[in-house]
Amino acid sequence: MAEAGKRVLVVDDAALVRLYYRGALESHGYVVEEALNGLEALEKISGAAFDLLVVDVNMPQMDGLTFVAKLRSLALPVAATPVLITSTESGPQDFAAARVAGANFYVTKPVTPEQLVALAAMLCGIAA
Amino acid sequence: MPLIRRNATPAAASPPDAAKVLDALAGGTEQERWEAARAAPGIPGAAKALCDAARREASAGVREAMFTALTQIASPESVEQLVPLLRSDDAWLRTAALDALRAMKSLVGPYIPSLLHDANSDVRLLACELARDQPGKESAALLCELLETEQEPNVCASAVEVLAEIGDAEALPALARCEERFRGVSFLEFAIRITADRIRASSRKPRA
Amino acid sequence: MSFSEPKRYYVERRIAERMTATGALSFASYFARLRTDVDGEVEHFVNAFTVNETYFYREDHQLRCLTTNLLAERLAVKGPSAAIRIWSVPCSTGEEPYSIAIWLLENWPLVDRHEIEIVASDIDTAALERAREGLFGKRALMRLPTEIVASYFTPEGPDAWRILADLRDSVRFTQVNIVKPEETRPNGRFDVVFCRNVLIYFDDTSRRIAAENLYENLEPGGFICLGHTESMSRISPLFEVQRFADAIVYRRPPGEPHG
Repeated sequence: MAEAGKRVLVVDDAALVRLYYRGALESHGYVVEEALNGLEALEKISGAAFDLLVVDVNMPQMDGLTFVAKLRSLALPVAATPVLITSTESGPQDFAAARVAGANFYVTKPVTPEQLVALAAMLCGIAA
Repeated sequence: MPLIRRNATPAAASPPDAAKVLDALAGGTEQERWEAARAAPGIPGAAKALCDAARREASAGVREAMFTALTQIASPESVEQLVPLLRSDDAWLRTAALDALRAMKSLVGPYIPSLLHDANSDVRLLACELARDQPGKESAALLCELLETEQEPNVCASAVEVLAEIGDAEALPALARCEERFRGVSFLEFAIRITADRIRASSRKPRA
Repeated sequence: MSFSEPKRYYVERRIAERMTATGALSFASYFARLRTDVDGEVEHFVNAFTVNETYFYREDHQLRCLTTNLLAERLAVKGPSAAIRIWSVPCSTGEEPYSIAIWLLENWPLVDRHEIEIVASDIDTAALERAREGLFGKRALMRLPTEIVASYFTPEGPDAWRILADLRDSVRFTQVNIVKPEETRPNGRFDVVFCRNVLIYFDDTSRRIAAENLYENLEPGGFICLGHTESMSRISPLFEVQRFADAIVYRRPPGEPHG
């Protein structure tokens, strides 16, 4: 599989969401790690490279948009890591906010496994 | 010996001047706003001043100190100032308000039923999180009630996530009916199945 | 031994943490690692269960980080002849601040070229008194090499060693409740703070207040080390994480105009 070995960090405070994404991604050969808020995500990316970050917006301590803005202010190559924002909101201002923060793509929850895998393939392809 | 000891004399801290603190919150320098936020608990009218200032505050650190002060005040007034922020368009304000409300578990209980019926779906979603930390079985019952009528799948998902932790066998019928209503929404089906399994497994365990 | 439900959960959590930390994919492989003490796993395992206990050179990877990286980073900013201030809070009965002192004397090549001020604080005055007395038993000294014990302690009884007067006199002990800014502020700003295994015991509000206090007590760019099971990601967004070979530490961002 082309995806084999691509590393995804799932950032969401909901354990069931992380489990669901992990199932979908691992069954397609992705290596998955988890963080439960933007601060923990910053810690994880300081220690390992990822091909994709799947980031929820509503999280305690540091929300997803703040995290992405911080990510983009770090040094390269980490700063250029592809980001998929997931959010319960779907208004145009929320798409805009995600773009302003520096996300590569935005998807409204709830996400299906097929959607997640298709988006992961596309966004990891950017990095390759 | 390179290790040295100095005997410092601590400066006497003077009690904060209420008017100065409120002024600084509204219009001081960043350092002044930080100090004012930290000095604000104990000053009458501080909860409103802190919330008003936090909405406008550009510095993340100063905003953090403002919210900490609100949780320290821990009054019904703090709760009432914070609840409207759950409706904010600014993700940072929503999550900061939620964090602050979570830190005031003993005060926030009475507000949860109405928050779970709020017109704004994001407020209902965040209110499920507040229900997580409440003692007793009332919260689980409220979440089950929500599951019977809630139209938004993301709000149901939030309730299901919390019931995975605080729910017991009494939640199973509501979970089953919710799964039926949302057949085809794959995340919800997954979440409900896992939650129901966990509840059944933990109700089988012998009580210590 | 029968565990109540909460205690069983506690034990399972501790084991799960160690399995995650060591990358063990099964309990069998973790148990093998524990039995043969790979990478000092026995100490990590014991630490996970005895968060309350204190002894010399506990979590010494952070001390290694101090002399390998943190002091160099501070001096790069402050200048080659700058003084260094280090805070151990809570210091309990003194094992931590005295460990820092001994470690610096033993391991930092530049130790003679700098003034180093170590302040040690605790809320418990009885613990502070014992720290000032500097008398320790075998258990507290168990991780120290015998040469270190011989160099820095005088035996005073079958299970009592007193740390040298020079060292007792070189640490300033102060009473501090880290949730009270009026008690933390007078200690000034530090280059490195060790605040290990106390924040986990606080409620959410107290933890936030303590984090803000510690932030104020750090120089911009200064470092704070937490206990090995602790993370700022559950406590406060004020600090930046920085990963070094020997430890993950947190830093007050340089250049913020507040605090």
